Amino acid sequence: MSASTGVIERDADEDVVLSVENVDSGYGDVQVLDDLSMTLAEDEIACLVGPNGAGKSTVLKTVFGMLTPWTGHVKYHGDDIGGMAPEDIVRTGIGYVPQTENVFGNLTIEENLRMGGVARSDDLDPIIDQLYDRFPLLTEKQSAKARTLSGGQRQVLAFARALVMEPDVLLIDEPSAGLAPNTADEVFADVQAVNELGTAILMVEQNARKGLAISDKGFVLDQGTVAYADDADGLLDNPEVSRLYLGG
Amino acid sequence: MSVLEYAANGLVFSSIIVLASIGLSLVYSIANFANFAHGDTMTVGAYATLVTFGAVGTLGGVVLGIPYGFFVALLVGVVVAALVAVVTHKVIYEPIDLDSIGLLITSIGVAFVYRATVRLGFGADFTEFGIQVLRPIEWLIPYGVRVTLHDVAIVGSAVVLVAGLHTLLQYTDLGRKMRATADNPDLARVSGIRTNRIEIWTWIIGAGLAGAGGGFLGLFNQLSPRMGFDILLVVFAAVILGGIGSVYGAMLGGFLIGMINQMTPLLSDIGIPIGIEYANAVAFVIMVLVLLARPTGIMGEAAS
Repeated sequence: MSASTGVIERDADEDVVLSVENVDSGYGDVQVLDDLSMTLAEDEIACLVGPNGAGKSTVLKTVFGMLTPWTGHVKYHGDDIGGMAPEDIVRTGIGYVPQTENVFGNLTIEENLRMGGVARSDDLDPIIDQLYDRFPLLTEKQSAKARTLSGGQRQVLAFARALVMEPDVLLIDEPSAGLAPNTADEVFADVQAVNELGTAILMVEQNARKGLAISDKGFVLDQGTVAYADDADGLLDNPEVSRLYLGG
Repeated sequence: MSVLEYAANGLVFSSIIVLASIGLSLVYSIANFANFAHGDTMTVGAYATLVTFGAVGTLGGVVLGIPYGFFVALLVGVVVAALVAVVTHKVIYEPIDLDSIGLLITSIGVAFVYRATVRLGFGADFTEFGIQVLRPIEWLIPYGVRVTLHDVAIVGSAVVLVAGLHTLLQYTDLGRKMRATADNPDLARVSGIRTNRIEIWTWIIGAGLAGAGGGFLGLFNQLSPRMGFDILLVVFAAVILGGIGSVYGAMLGGFLIGMINQMTPLLSDIGIPIGIEYANAVAFVIMVLVLLARPTGIMGEAAS
């Protein structure tokens, strides 16, 4: 653990965009996160892994204002955003792709993308055209209702909707959930491509090995707190992490 | 009376039901509860129209047998209904912060308050706008259709309002945000939509249309403090038939229920001893039959 703590200290000295500091959080009276701390640096992909119920999605919901931290702080570029509403947080430069129900099924693909940009005051056409170029399958289906899309296509649309804001930080909840392996790989490739254009990514992933493989660093969550934090290769090579959390 | 005449009456009644159904469905899909005060919101609109009409009277000229002043009064009725709904939302529904069943029951109480207030102000008796009753349109009488220009005005106004709503929902930013919020409120907030503002617009539009429906209902029949409440069950039937939460379903459901309601005399004409007094019952039976085949209503979607 001392080695992994060292990684966090080093990151904190770099350009931290997002930090979660000693946060307790949960649903109603049920506590899920317990004194959880983590950081995300500029241009980084960080992956949250861990068993079901460890609180991975709860971290994202707490960062994005769907849950209010009971104690501790969520800081974005040093400003405390804990307890702000999602519709305000999205205006600060953070985006969020939920795991399920992440598209507007009764709206067309085009309308979904426009909804992604409601907080922008400039003309949406240039950014939407860029996204069509990047995700050609959306272009073909512009005027189709989102509910007609396949699981993988929905994930791409959900992703593109969040990118209309051109966020500095993107939170992604289980991008590969429910997808066939090759479709999941395509989504992971998209995640990497977005990151390469300068968006820091905090991702929850059930498929821990694949998630870590594209990440710079990882956090293993267990019972609402960070059990291990290291760079991604370090976690993948750690025999204890491997045995306890990555299925041997 | 001829089939054509029943159909013509059905069209007029449908117009009123459609205006009421849209609002009920909009509020259901965005505020997320069945608003039992919706019928009484119609009553509020009708009486606000009545009061204003009394003040502006026979302002200007006459179109389709209706003084311009009535349309001014109707506009005031729409605004008052919308205002009352928004105030109720801000003062009662929002602070009370209950689940959808709690809000439903609360809205029954709100309905009593609206109705009692109207009754205190105007008494329990029937009243009228006092616009001169017109003779049926001459050239339609040979076809067995006895409708007045007032009926034409009601249908025409409803068509304009429905077309306006369609344009709003499909082609404006507010409309798209309303559809997005109805579709998935959490994702709407995540996308940056200020859903509390959308909710206020929903009350304005839904209650405004109900107010217009109330005004027309007063013109079609008479006004009474129970007028909106008495029609509420039919409006619910329309919304459920169309598919609750779907605005276009509400339009279709409202049209069908209104038509069925007014076509009921056809049954006794062909020898089935079911009179006009069973009009609502017939509409409900048909609604139940449709729901047996399609539990989410005609245009409703399966709950996800």
